[in-house]
Order: sequence, then structure tokens, then C-alpha cells
Amino acid sequence: MPVISAELVRSGGMPAAEELTGRLLSGHTLLRDTPEHLVEVVDVLASYGEVLDAYSINLIYQAEKQFLNPFPVFKYFDGDLNLARLWRHLNHDRINFEYAEYCMKAMLWHGTGGLDAYLDSPAFLDHCRRIIARKRRRDPLLALLDPLAPSFLPELIRTAATVHALGQFWRVMSDLFLDLATAERQGRVRSIADVVAFIQQGLVAAAAQPITYGVEVAGEHCWVLPPEAGLTFLVDVAVPYVEAVFLRGMPFFGTVSFNAQAQQISPDQARFTYGALYADPLPTMGAGIPPSLLMQDMYRHLPERLHQMYRQCSRGEGDVHVKICQSFQKSMFCVTNAAINGTMPHPLEAPDPAHQAANRAYAEAWAARLSVARTDCLDEALPPVLD
Amino acid sequence: MTSLPLLSLLLAVPFLGCLGLLLWPGSPSPNQLRGGAIATLVLQLLVSLLVLLVFDSSLSGLQLRESHGWLPGIGLDYRLGVDGLSLPLVLINAALSLVAVVCTREFSRRPRVYFALLLLISGAVNGAFLADNLLLFFLFYELELIPLWLLISIWGGANRAYAATKFLLFTAVSGMLILGAFLGLALLTGTVDFSLTPVSSERLAMGSQLWLLGALLVGFGIKMPLVPFHTWLPDAHTQASTPVSVLLAGVLLKLGTYGLLRFGLGLFPEAWARLAPALAIWAAVSVVFGSLAAIAQRDMKKMVAYSSVGHMGYVLLAAAAATPVALLGAQFQMVSHGLISALLFLLVGIVYRKTGTRDLDVLHGLLNPQRGLPLTGSLMILGVMASAGLPGMAGFIAEFLVFRGSLNAYPLATLLSMVGSGLTAVYFLLLVNRAFFGRLAITPPQDPLRHARLDVLLPPVAPRETLPAIALAAAVVVMGLLPQQTLGDLSEATTTAMADLPVMVAVLQPGGLG
Repeated sequence: MPVISAELVRSGGMPAAEELTGRLLSGHTLLRDTPEHLVEVVDVLASYGEVLDAYSINLIYQAEKQFLNPFPVFKYFDGDLNLARLWRHLNHDRINFEYAEYCMKAMLWHGTGGLDAYLDSPAFLDHCRRIIARKRRRDPLLALLDPLAPSFLPELIRTAATVHALGQFWRVMSDLFLDLATAERQGRVRSIADVVAFIQQGLVAAAAQPITYGVEVAGEHCWVLPPEAGLTFLVDVAVPYVEAVFLRGMPFFGTVSFNAQAQQISPDQARFTYGALYADPLPTMGAGIPPSLLMQDMYRHLPERLHQMYRQCSRGEGDVHVKICQSFQKSMFCVTNAAINGTMPHPLEAPDPAHQAANRAYAEAWAARLSVARTDCLDEALPPVLD
Repeated sequence: MTSLPLLSLLLAVPFLGCLGLLLWPGSPSPNQLRGGAIATLVLQLLVSLLVLLVFDSSLSGLQLRESHGWLPGIGLDYRLGVDGLSLPLVLINAALSLVAVVCTREFSRRPRVYFALLLLISGAVNGAFLADNLLLFFLFYELELIPLWLLISIWGGANRAYAATKFLLFTAVSGMLILGAFLGLALLTGTVDFSLTPVSSERLAMGSQLWLLGALLVGFGIKMPLVPFHTWLPDAHTQASTPVSVLLAGVLLKLGTYGLLRFGLGLFPEAWARLAPALAIWAAVSVVFGSLAAIAQRDMKKMVAYSSVGHMGYVLLAAAAATPVALLGAQFQMVSHGLISALLFLLVGIVYRKTGTRDLDVLHGLLNPQRGLPLTGSLMILGVMASAGLPGMAGFIAEFLVFRGSLNAYPLATLLSMVGSGLTAVYFLLLVNRAFFGRLAITPPQDPLRHARLDVLLPPVAPRETLPAIALAAAVVVMGLLPQQTLGDLSEATTTAMADLPVMVAVLQPGGLG
């Protein structure tokens, strides 16, 4: 039998569900609180914040300025079309806005939460009809398409609404993550526990922020997501986003057929585990699909401190995308940690046994879901240097 | 320039280099010793290229001959010469010896002796290829055994003692059979002149010729090796270090094929023609057996070793057919197999050094671009494609010539060998699929399910580690794409040399064997 040296193989020690439950109920963070983890999480979130800023601007631009455009060829240019930018785009010196669309499609497809419920409501269809009727007057192509495929244009509007909602959600998250980096630089955030608390406060502060969306059609302002729909940031967009992108995700297109034939894809969407928290950081044939495009975008904005840390470990620049993915997963566990803490049924220190039991049940449900995610990163430092 | 004793220089350079390393005063560092060995082998390569430059491919027979009496009483003379059969092998010996020293990374134990032995082997192999005297050939043939035995038994793997002893026993028997055949030839022809040209066996009865040829066939068959004398090779390869495997597969096995063509075919043409149908079947059996055995392996190195058993069968097939095209194919096969097998062993060595295992049940996904061995994997894919005889690479030219030249003479054996060529693709695709494709993982054999999600941290491969493999891969591709430009002169020289063989004279006459 071959002898495999121990330093080559790291056992992916996954914390058990009980361990995760214990951490949630005791008020400890899911991610081990170390100075190295703090740098990883804060800097990777700073990078993520920059990327989300670009995604958010573009999504809102698409939803407002490319509304019902059947051929949105220049949708990634944010209205700033010039030769230099076109060259950079063709040369792939740009942000991968395709990843933002992937997330939007995941939200639209999984369809959980208040936003989806509203998109299927009669009120939304009324708005759609009004918008389409106005738009048809000046657009012969839409005039032709609408009678031929009556549900096509409402579906495009549903997509545009999700695009805009995601753009609004990321606007908040981008600012939150960039503020976190500033707070850490100023010494107001000194630990992983501080990070989780900071994010929790940010989510709570934005929780009730209304999500609305309107477009200009033929000189008239028309609502797609009107204020009276009562959609809010946390419940109607943030939670569905976490469910669709962090947890469920979608199987990679190229593997769908093979995996489906092998009966490896659950017929129940709710049991999907293709989200970012389950993604295999190695970009080949893993069970989860690494958000490779996002890793490329984050690499463009990587803070020098974290970049330097990456250079000094494992394969240095050679596997930097894998390391970004691992750090990103650590940071996403912090965000999830903050969301769980913020939505815990009762305060952790509640003396009432019934409250404690409810908290335990809530924590156990989350722990069961997370215990099959990439929780092996929670206790691990960056890999050592090998030569 | 031709007044220089170039062939003697080809012996003197490595032998003096070996002596220089052993007598290097003080305590030179391993890197200094390695540098000395590299300098010696670069010089040897330059002299080999000089020989190529002054070699006239339009002339038949041995060229640049050097002759000095040594022990005339027993027929041992210092006679050297080079022709189209030996020149490519001299060149490949110089190149692969250099590759073996360059790719040596682990020299913490007795580096002085290690590098000296490598130079000794290189010089001895040159001597065997250049010898124009049967006894001189035998001396050099035997001279390379001891250093190789030492290299396996001192710097080999955990089971090195067993492998080295087995190697020594097999090759000692090989040497005895060859010596017995040479002495028998002298005894039966009543001469003590062991120079190549005067030896004429046609005076012997067919029965005697068959016995002597049989001894040579078994002797060189062990060295090549051919089934069923092959069992020493997989053990030797798996226990030998990477540089030794490179030399063993790339150069030392060629002593067997060279001996078979030079002495078996050259000295006993009539007996050879009598045995040729059986030899063709033997070749086909060796090819198919080697390929099937390779399929069953889970050790990458053993798989490559068994592929050598199969690929050496092509040379025997071509020699059995003995048509000009087939013999040219045999020569190409020796060169291309030397390069391809050296490339594959180099790459397996890198995989073993980085992962600690060569087990195909353990390794997965090594082609991973970020955490795997992507360049090594890419070169491995190129190497196995070349070994499987895909067009555009050296293996294709060699196999095509062998099959084209042998098909009319022995259609069944050739078709079976073609099946063996197809099986090469099977086992090498298994190797690539298991070890290089899929999710990167090293699954320990103990309880693989429990360790199904392992994060593998492989050390990166430095560019200098893959440089020799890149050079070999480039040679394999260039030879495959431009065979006429790269080996054109050599092929002409080979054809000329082959035409000189008595059996070829018979073949080329109307109504000949082919």
C-alpha cells in the first residue's frame, strides 16, 4: 500500500451539527475567532463590497434603462458606451456581471419569500398590463409579441423586478461591507464576534427599508413594485436571496444532464445544496459549483493586506482563487451567523425554558442545514507553505 | 576534424568524468557534483553531435573506425565504429543521460558515487553501441550491469534489494547466454577473430546456427525484455529512482534491441529467416501480453513499465519481418520509445514526488489548474498520446513504419500487434482518467468513504522540475511532425546500414524473404 505523507492530506474536519448548535446557542461565532480570520473576513468582504457596488449599479441600470429591451446588447455598459470601454469589455478587462444575473436567476427560479408572492399576484399583473399597453403603442415588436405570447412580456417584467430588487439589496450590502472595512481600520471592529455583531446591526437597521421599483414608459412613471405592495428589505429580498444563493443555488448547467440521469439532483428544489456555502472551492467536478466568476471579480479588488497574506501561503498566487473562495465562504458564514442571530425567536439569555426550547429548535434546524455545507473552513487557517 | 578520435572521445568523456567525480579533492557539495556530471554529459552530447555532423549517411558500413590491438590472443581488440544503426542510439544515450542527471533532485545520500555511476553507465552504453568487436561489446554490456544494480539497490525504493537482485540475476543470465553464443560462434567457426565483419556463420550447420541464435534471442530477449523474460523489469522500475528509470527505459533496454538487430539478425541471417515466423508470433504475444498486463496495473510506474514490454515487441516484429521499411520502423521505434518512455517516467516521478504515491486508486484530479499538477498532467496526456501512436507524434511514425513493413510478411502477427497498439490507448486513458481527471483528491486506501472530502495540498512544481520533460515532449512532437527533417539523414543512414545486413541482401534480391 502506498504511504501518503500526512502534510499532503488535510482532513476536512467538519464540525458536527451538535457543535454548530452549541456555538449558536452559546453566543459564540460559527467561525473560529482568530486574528487571521478577522483579516480574511474583513478584507474579503471589502473586496466583495466593491464588486457588489458594481453589480448593484449595473442591475439597477438594466432594470431602469434596458426595461423590456428585447436585445440588450450593451446592458453591461451602464450607459457609458465608448470605444475604450468596448475594448476592455471584449478583452475581458471587466467585472463579470454574468454572476449577478446568475444570482438573479436563482432568486427568480427558487421563488421564495414575499417578492415572489407579489410577482404572482393579480395586482402585479395589473401593473404589467398597464405598462405593456403603454409600451406597445410605440414599440411594434412588442405589439407583435404580446398577442402571440401573452405571458412573455409579464415574465420579462418579473425578471426586471427581480433584477431591480437584487440591485437594491446589494446596494445596502455593499455599503455595509465597505463600512465594516472602515470600522475595522478605525479599530471599532477587533474580532469575528464584532464582525458578526456589525453585520447583524446593519441588517436590522435596513430590515424595514422599502423595496420599490418604477419605470418611465412613454413619459409616464409606472410602478412595477409599488410602495403599497409593502415589500421590505429583510423579509422579502434578503431572506429569499440567502435561501436561493447561499443555500440552494443551481446545479452547474454542464452537469445537469449527467447528474440528473444519475439521479443525483433532488426533485425537490428545497433540498438543493448548490449554493455558495456548499460550493467546492476547487473548480472541477465537485458536488458544489464554485462561484468562479465572483472569485475573479473579487481578485480585481483584493486589498493588499489580504493579497499579501495569500502570497505567503500554500501556492501563493497560483491558487489565489481557491483561497478567495475559502475566505469568502468564511465571511458568508459570518453573514449567515448574523442573520441567524438576528432572527432567533427569543434572546439567547431568555430564562424561560419554552423560549430556550424554541431557540434550540431554531438553532438545530439551521445547524442541520449547515452541517453538510463547507463548514470545514470554520476552524481552519490558511494552508501552510509547501515546496 | 575527422582526424580526432571522436568515438574514443565518446568513451573517454564519461569515463574521465566518472573518475573526476570520484577523485574530486575535498568535500564537494552535491550541487557541485551534479554540476560536474552535467558538464561532462553536455560535453558528451556535443561530441555525439559532432559525430553526427561528420557522419556520412550515404556510406554503408561502419565509419570513423578506430582500431587498436588489445589482447589478440583471445580475439579482444579495441575496435570502434559507428553506423546508422548505432548513431541514433549514441545520440539518445547522450541526451537521456543528461536528462537523468538534470532531473536528479534527491541526492542527499552518497552523491559522489551516485553521479559517478550514472556517468559510468553512459560511457559503458556508448561502448556497447560503438564496439566493433563481439568481446568488446560484451565487456561494455556487462560493465553497465553493476552500476545499475548499485543504483537500484542503494538509491531505490523500499523493496530495492529484491528488485536489484532479480535484475542482476536476469541480466547476468542474459550476459552469460550472449557470451556463450559469441564463444560458440568462435569455437564452431574455428576462429578467434571477434570483429564484426569477418565473423561469418554461413559455414555453420543450420542446427548450430539455430542454437547460437537461440542463445542470443533469449539473452537479448531478457534485456529488451520480451515475454516471458520480462518479470525483472516492472520490479526494477518500481524500485528505481526516476533518473534510473529514465535511463533504464530510454537507453538500457535498447541494448537488447540493438543486440538483436546487430548480432541476431546480422550474424545469423539464415537461421533468422528460419525462425522469423515464430519470432513474429513471439512479438505479437509480447505486445498483447504487455498491454493486457498494463491494463491490470494500479501503480502508474508499473503500467509504464509494462507498456515498454509491449512496445519492445514492435521491434522484434519488425526484425522478424526484416523488410527495409520494417527495419527503419524498428530504428524509429527504438528512438521514439526512448524519448516517450523517458518522458512518461519523468512525469510519473514528479507525481510521486509531489503526492507520495503512484496508486491509481488513490490519485484523482491531478489536472486541477490551481491546486493540482496541471503542466505535469498536460505533458502526461501528450506523452500517453504519443505512446499510443497518435498521428503528429514520434510514436505514430515508428508504429506506422513497423506495421507497414511487417503486414505483408506476417499479417496475423501485425494485426495482433495493432490490437496491442489500441490497447495502449486503453490503459493510458485509464491512467489519465483515474489520476488526472475529476475532482482533485488523494483517497487513502484505508476507509476512502470516510475521507471522501479531503483538501489536498500538493507542493507546486517548479519550472526547473518540468524543463527536462518539456524538452522531451517537444522532441516527441517535432519528430512526429517533421520526421524527414529531424531524422531524415539518420533514416538514410539506417537504411544504408540495414541494407548491409546479410539478411537484407537476401531480402532485397528478387524472390527474397520479404
